[in-house]
Amino acid sequence: MSIKLELFSAPGCSSCGRAAELLRELTEEVGGGRIEWRKINVLEELDYAVNLGVLSTPAIAIDGELVFTGLPPLHKLLSELDRRISAKGETSSI
Amino acid sequence: MHYRIGDITRIIGLSADTLRYYEKIDLLPPVNRTTSGIRLYNESDLSRLRFIRRAKSMSFTLTEIARLLEMREDPQHARDEVRELTKRKLEEVESHMEELGTLRNELTLLINLCRGSNAGCPIIEDLDIHPEQEKHKGS
Repeated sequence: MSIKLELFSAPGCSSCGRAAELLRELTEEVGGGRIEWRKINVLEELDYAVNLGVLSTPAIAIDGELVFTGLPPLHKLLSELDRRISAKGETSSI
Repeated sequence: MHYRIGDITRIIGLSADTLRYYEKIDLLPPVNRTTSGIRLYNESDLSRLRFIRRAKSMSFTLTEIARLLEMREDPQHARDEVRELTKRKLEEVESHMEELGTLRNELTLLINLCRGSNAGCPIIEDLDIHPEQEKHKGS
């Protein structure tokens, strides 16, 4: 079962591009289809973003839960993913 | 401390006519007067008027407000009907607060998007454009 990452971004957001690049690399690195991610333009899905509690961009939700506001340091993102992969009973290779 | 009607209109933001009307329909108990007939409101009147203003801002009717004031005067001995109404109104306020919370978050997000933008405020500009576009559509 894969982990669903959602990156909330917006036009004109200066660090959203970097966040997208980070998630792209991470998905490839973890591999095995264990991470699925999508980029969400908050202006197109405003209700969804607000319901999750997104108050600024970039923001990252994992499995439908807002986990990071702002661009997190790589080690924090990795440890959160590691924790969730382990919780799903899979062996982490992160 | 005592307040004249002009003080109350400044503090509460209700007109003098409205204040006199509330007294006439017993939302306010008879206000003390000077020998020359000038109304002198006290702290208790002020507190009651603040309550009325808040309840009005929630679109409660004057009849409902009168019942709620009964509850406010003596909650322990309020009639069942008044207690029920108070409970219903509390639910309305809570639901309103939830809506307001969502609106606050949405507006916060929009403001933050503007702050984070390198090129002005695309969102606000976008919102500004829409009414104009709507007008053109209608013409």
